[in-house]
Amino acid sequence: MSIIKKLALVVVSLSLVAVSSVSSAKPFSPKKPVELIIPAGQGGGADEIARLVQGVIEKNDYASKPVIPINKSGGSGGEAMTYVKKKAGDEHTLIITLNNVLTTPVNQPELGIDFFNDFTPLARLITDTFLVWIATEGKNTAGVETFDDFIDLAKGNGLVMGGTGSMSEDELLLGMMRGQFGFDAKYVPYSGGGAVAKGLVGGESDFTLNNPSEQMGFYQSGDSKALVMMTPERNPAFPEVPSSYELGYPDLEYYMMRAFMAPAGIDAEVEKYYTGLLHTVYHDDEFQTFNIDDGKLMSWLEGYGLKDFLAIEYEKHGEIIKNFN
Amino acid sequence: METIGFLLDGIFTSLQWFNLALLIFGCLIGLFVGAMPGLGSVNGVAILIPITFIIPPTAAIIFLAAVYYGAMYGGAISSVMLGIPGASTAVATVFDGRPLAVKGEAMTALTAAAVGSFVGGTVSVILFTLFAPPLAEVALRFNAPETFALMVMAFATFVGLGGDDVPKTIFSILIGLALSTIGLDLITGKPRLIFFNIPGFLHGINFLVLAIGIYGIGEMLWTLEETKGKVQMSKLSVNMKEVGRAFGALKKTIMAMNIGSFLGFFVGILPAAGATPASLMSYGITKQLSKNSKEFGSGVPAGVVAPECANNSASTGSMLPMLTLGIPGSPTTAILLGGMILWGLTPGPLLFTQEPEFVWGLIGSLYIANFFTLVLNIALIPAFLMVLRIPFAILAPVIFVLCVTGGYAPTQSLHDVWLMLLFGFAGYILRKLDYPVAPAVLSIVLGPLAEKALRQSLILSDGSMGIFFDMSEKPIAAVIMYIAIVLLIMPAFGPLYRRLFKKKQPA
Repeated sequence: MSIIKKLALVVVSLSLVAVSSVSSAKPFSPKKPVELIIPAGQGGGADEIARLVQGVIEKNDYASKPVIPINKSGGSGGEAMTYVKKKAGDEHTLIITLNNVLTTPVNQPELGIDFFNDFTPLARLITDTFLVWIATEGKNTAGVETFDDFIDLAKGNGLVMGGTGSMSEDELLLGMMRGQFGFDAKYVPYSGGGAVAKGLVGGESDFTLNNPSEQMGFYQSGDSKALVMMTPERNPAFPEVPSSYELGYPDLEYYMMRAFMAPAGIDAEVEKYYTGLLHTVYHDDEFQTFNIDDGKLMSWLEGYGLKDFLAIEYEKHGEIIKNFN
Repeated sequence: METIGFLLDGIFTSLQWFNLALLIFGCLIGLFVGAMPGLGSVNGVAILIPITFIIPPTAAIIFLAAVYYGAMYGGAISSVMLGIPGASTAVATVFDGRPLAVKGEAMTALTAAAVGSFVGGTVSVILFTLFAPPLAEVALRFNAPETFALMVMAFATFVGLGGDDVPKTIFSILIGLALSTIGLDLITGKPRLIFFNIPGFLHGINFLVLAIGIYGIGEMLWTLEETKGKVQMSKLSVNMKEVGRAFGALKKTIMAMNIGSFLGFFVGILPAAGATPASLMSYGITKQLSKNSKEFGSGVPAGVVAPECANNSASTGSMLPMLTLGIPGSPTTAILLGGMILWGLTPGPLLFTQEPEFVWGLIGSLYIANFFTLVLNIALIPAFLMVLRIPFAILAPVIFVLCVTGGYAPTQSLHDVWLMLLFGFAGYILRKLDYPVAPAVLSIVLGPLAEKALRQSLILSDGSMGIFFDMSEKPIAAVIMYIAIVLLIMPAFGPLYRRLFKKKQPA
């Protein structure tokens, strides 16, 4: 209850601030198209959300200038983050996050990215989760019906896992599972979650840890099936897939945050504008329906709450990486 | 024959006046973005996506597909008329299209491009109509080892590109490959070859920067030196005799049309390849197999038909993995895919059965779009030819400006403009030293694709090259690999073989 109260307070105070700012100085609005940097390839989860946000903004005229999604998929987000870091003070650049923004600065110190000082966090809109997927007709996973079947199989055999790039979320998750369940797999990187999903159904890999949306097409056609969802509860979009808590593995819990950040060094006025824009998008009916149908969790977070969340996640990922190595 | 019924429905859908108007409008926009260096189908479609939210999904996809399609035709125009590739898909069109224009046969080049595009587009859309579901299965089975084998085959055909001077060609390929490794490592994400720590190298070398530099700037320097500034573009008259001659020249390009159509379609349906590699490979293979392969590069119609046929064919082909697997086959289809998701359609194996009106409306519209772009193109040829009447003193600065904007547009960084000028100068010197430059351009496109596929395959096989030659486990990869080896050996031993063969004959 207290969280809701706090949220309500935040909303009220924000709207007051918004009202007062209208009456005082001229509020910020973009003067040219806004670049929305996607630190991943086309067809993946982050790409999909970015394009949805673009579409919702365009369709309803929520912003005075268009938002243009640009994929910079190089180096597990390294290319995108370096780009945004260089844009410090730029009022027309945004970046959508995968969790690779938490891991790449640690894994690639040579890029010189300081997660806490090179970006201005705006808001978290969605948390996405992961599932363990196998192909329905996978030749090495024949007969696997449950997650426990899968663990037994994976322990004895070196299975191949398709993933989205070195030290990305899914490889870290593999590391977590290795510690927890005592199996390892051969990790093959692809460019983007869409290609990973295709690799599984095409028989190149034996299992993947895709987001719900990345496998949705194949899931609906019955070409792939999920064994466990890494959340406390089942998801209405996948009613028959058990949660990790149900199966007795509460440690197997992991989220991908879909948040938006701006470069460092922007005015509070600009920050407020974009946070407000994202808030409008978040409450758009179409945006809500699309994401819920797609199995995502709607989880708005901004301001200090977001900063705390990022600090905790950053530390948690540092820990996972340390154990991984 | 349920398919025929669906297809007819689709064709009727795209002939409704609203859809037809959008289709023709889309073709015109496509022609324009294709012809403007730096603006390609990717930008065109991306810019227009928001417009499509206010019209029904079927009309939207018809419109955007027409833009995509028109751009494939349009790219050829600036390649032929100005010698600068209008879009990445039209780079190979410069190889022979430009020399033809310089020889005064621009009419032939443009006709060959338009007809080649039409044939490629039509063949591929027929293949699409008849075999979409089984071909989706092929695309699904085409994984890392198969992709790498295909890339090796492409490189093998390039060795034959530079004429008989094999060492110089290999040198050119290696330069392209070395340039393609600049940027961030594809597998580990570590930066590599970041010269002088200039951040511009982090995004690698965009191959359009190299192509525009070498062909745009390099050729301009070359022309200036050759003619001391007094360039007189050959006079042109458009009359029925010229038109007849242009169409007559197409008789010799049947083989190029076959290769372009089928190879283009096949490369197009492979996820992540797309029309640019398809057009380059088609050019390479057509040249290799042609009886007069030595004339390629000096202006033969087949050298225009091969890439133009393939890029249209591949652009249709790349819709297949988009619709059936939800995987874009090219950067442009990636944008279309985003659009589809926003229109409320889930791409995937079920799309054909759940949304037949959408899918068949799209396929039907491709038939119609093909026809209209052909008509538009042929009708507009006299207008395009006007460019040749502009004096070089005026045209050269225009080309220069187009080169600079074309180099800047893809990455929007000035770093790339400097690089482009540098490549232009380097290209000019290489040309003076008689090095072929086309192989370098080709390898910078395919280098990253090949590297990624190679490294994925070697992870799968624990480092064994055997994965590419295993007939029982990976028959597709192995067969392609053996063909590649034969193609590689042909140009190296061809001259030797011919000499031996000729000696025998008098005896």
